[in-house]
Amino acid sequence: MGLRPIKFRILELFLDEKAHWNYEIVSKIQNEYDMQGNFKRDSINFDILELASGGMLKDVEQKVDEEGIYKQGFLLHRYMITDFGKTRSSDACLRYV
Amino acid sequence: MDLQSLKKQENKRKISKGYMWAFFCAIFWGIWYLPGTVVWVLNPFDEMYSAIAAIRGDEISLVITAVLITAFNALTVMLALMLWNGVLGKFGELKRTLKEFQPCSKWFFMASIFGGPMAILGSFIAMGFIGGAFAAVAALLYPVIGSVLAYYWYGEKISKRAALGIGVIILGGITIFGGGLLKDLSGGSVPWIGYLGGLMAAAGWGIEGAVAGKGLDISEPDAGLTLRFVGENIIWWLLIVPLLAVVGYPMYSFALEAFEPMTLMILIFAGITFGFCYVCWYKSFPLIGVGRGQGIGNLYGLFSIIFIFLFFGEAPQWTLLLGGALCVIGSFVMFTEDTSELETLRGD
Repeated sequence: MGLRPIKFRILELFLDEKAHWNYEIVSKIQNEYDMQGNFKRDSINFDILELASGGMLKDVEQKVDEEGIYKQGFLLHRYMITDFGKTRSSDACLRYV
Repeated sequence: MDLQSLKKQENKRKISKGYMWAFFCAIFWGIWYLPGTVVWVLNPFDEMYSAIAAIRGDEISLVITAVLITAFNALTVMLALMLWNGVLGKFGELKRTLKEFQPCSKWFFMASIFGGPMAILGSFIAMGFIGGAFAAVAALLYPVIGSVLAYYWYGEKISKRAALGIGVIILGGITIFGGGLLKDLSGGSVPWIGYLGGLMAAAGWGIEGAVAGKGLDISEPDAGLTLRFVGENIIWWLLIVPLLAVVGYPMYSFALEAFEPMTLMILIFAGITFGFCYVCWYKSFPLIGVGRGQGIGNLYGLFSIIFIFLFFGEAPQWTLLLGGALCVIGSFVMFTEDTSELETLRGD
């Protein structure tokens, strides 16, 4: 099976029920989907943001990006999947890992 | 800057971005009523209306003509959105989303059923039978349906303040709707089918927003809304238009005549404004929620009155102005909501 829609893949990565930093997920997706460049990077981050404001991910930890891992001076977020996120993932036929 | 204030700032940015998308949606949506009204007097639609009216009567003719106009509207919107996806480099995502029919795309196809044959067709009927300003404001009631559905279906929170704002907007809608109806009643002839079109628009868009939210949860809005219009094109061009042609209406001969410069230009104008109104609409939902996105988007009612006045010189009735003002007030009640409440839109 080929690549699935990006948000499906993001949810799938969170199905291990561990907390992940946004920059870890973004760079993982960038590699898998061959999406280089700042514009595409931000668009993946926006997808994570949408999933979070849709209640499928919850923001569990933040830190200031001092070293410029993602964007210097901005916030880095660490997310975990919510129960609602798990329900929507299983609707999308994603398997628990 | 410390973590807490940076957090607050970021949250504020997210919410103002959501409101900005919704606001742009309102402007594009309001402009859309200009080409939507003009297209009725252009050929082939003008000729088509007279030709069918001579045989089947005004009302049937108007609905059939509205079908063809809506079908062309869907076509140009789809083309505008394809271009948009091309610019963003999202064809790959579009294909991936389409392949996930069961979990994802089906919601967009369902959204297209309520958005197309119900809401947009209803709008064109209202524009043709009563006028652009009425068509615009009649649909103002859609957030009631959208918010209530989103609340019961996937537990989206509606704060008291948002509910109050939505309430005021609805009051504005009723003023505009009722004003026209009272005038028509005293005049003795009420174009009921036009009012029905207005109701179709309100109900259709409300349901569409809530249904599409299901698919939007797990897909990218740019890909999602393009699929929603692909769905609508399938409904019009592969189902309804051929069906009407089989029954004996001259759909194809008039459709082919639409390819003349002026008509094409107006249709493309409609496609661009409507397409981008949808882009903005769908982008606002994940940031501020379906109910609020629809509420602010509602400012289109006021914009359409202004644009119609500027371009066609049609002065609105006082009930339209009062209702329009109520819509602005209602939207600002929602707009000034304390952003900290919005940190999580849905319960865990």
